[in-house]
Amino acid sequence: MRRSRKFISEVLTTLKENIRRTGDPLGMKGVYWTEWAKGLHLPRQGKTVLLTGRMYQMLPYIMQVTKIISSAKPLLSRGGLGAAVNLGNRFMGDKVIRFRAVGSGKVRTKGANALRGIASALSAVGEMPAYLYEHEPYSGVLLYDLGLDDYIEEHVKRVYRLLKEHNVEKVIGVDPHTTFMLREVYPRYIEEFTIEVKHYLEILSENVEELKDGSKISLEGEYVIHDSCYLSRELGVIEQVRRISESIGISLREPENAKLDTACCGGPIEYAFRDLTEKVSRTRIEELSAISRDVLVVCPICLINLQKYEKELGINVWDMGELLLRALQPG
Amino acid sequence: MDVKRQEIADTLLREVAKCRACRFCVDMCSLYQATEGVESMAPYGRLQIIKCLLNGALDEDDPIVYSLYSCLQCGRCDGLCQAKGQNLEVSYLIRLGKYLLSHGLVKGGHDEKV
Repeated sequence: MRRSRKFISEVLTTLKENIRRTGDPLGMKGVYWTEWAKGLHLPRQGKTVLLTGRMYQMLPYIMQVTKIISSAKPLLSRGGLGAAVNLGNRFMGDKVIRFRAVGSGKVRTKGANALRGIASALSAVGEMPAYLYEHEPYSGVLLYDLGLDDYIEEHVKRVYRLLKEHNVEKVIGVDPHTTFMLREVYPRYIEEFTIEVKHYLEILSENVEELKDGSKISLEGEYVIHDSCYLSRELGVIEQVRRISESIGISLREPENAKLDTACCGGPIEYAFRDLTEKVSRTRIEELSAISRDVLVVCPICLINLQKYEKELGINVWDMGELLLRALQPG
Repeated sequence: MDVKRQEIADTLLREVAKCRACRFCVDMCSLYQATEGVESMAPYGRLQIIKCLLNGALDEDDPIVYSLYSCLQCGRCDGLCQAKGQNLEVSYLIRLGKYLLSHGLVKGGHDEKV
């Protein structure tokens, strides 16, 4: 709790500056979000685009950033701020993050597989969205979460202009946070917001028969579902994941805290309060792992927060996208 | 305080005043559970902190920032408040509280106290 004011001040200032300068919350200028799409030959232009919001791709870097921030905290409490503790690029820098993220191979693979699975599933049901590759923007959801409303408008308008320049009429979101931002927050800042926003689970659940037909194998097995807060409470996407799971052969079990009453993974505050996140996520994963060794999540933040217990508890945490990939492209 | 912030402050005071202090949102809060019962880490406690900040009973300091910025914004309290008939958008109000605090926290921003 000590020096929280100073610490949060650094985080907010850095986030604001990073997004203003580079459009990216991590302040990274290099393109790190397109690698997953290699070899998929997704069209670069189209009225419907798949918008990853860079969230799954960010996972290995988030892991490193939170570690760096955590280790910098004691410096703050001693008041020795200086250049070393100036978060963001001044503190982390592209190279530092990239270098340190080298060891995060598993998370990187899981994120990439999840995205490839989602793209494959959409293709299996006849949706062939374009992907903006290096032009793909970040939604700005962290600005919203942290109450930085004064800086949202500029970013939101920049992103909307970019989408319009690419003649986008429909966006398919892959994560709850980006989808929420575009569907619920953007229209508050853009008077004539005309882009249709859907979450990929909504599209797949409307086409479960095609998805079933397109699956090469039936996965089978019993999984416990961890509903995402934003997806269930803000976007109302609850039954869709259950219908899709059934169509690819998965049997889902429900924890006590599920659907509208789901419990948080703790992820949203890991950037600043790792100790609290650890307590929240442990409580949640213990509840889930008592039901099944295979945990199904539908959000990259939940994925990164719960997968860290895999080894310790002898469990597997899967993103829905990973399971879709296994069903559609086994091996 | 500029017009936009004053409007938000008025909204916050009006909405927080509607809280019946039933405290059903307290027990189910993941942070309240994680801190083993610290009320300032629960939705009801956070709303009271916002109220006290706005009426000048509290000053912005480390524990206040810790309390508001540690909110997960998971929205579980919203559903509970709705179920209990009061229907306050608790997590949204806490987010607005963060917005008011952010003016004094962001460097190069407005640097104004709540």
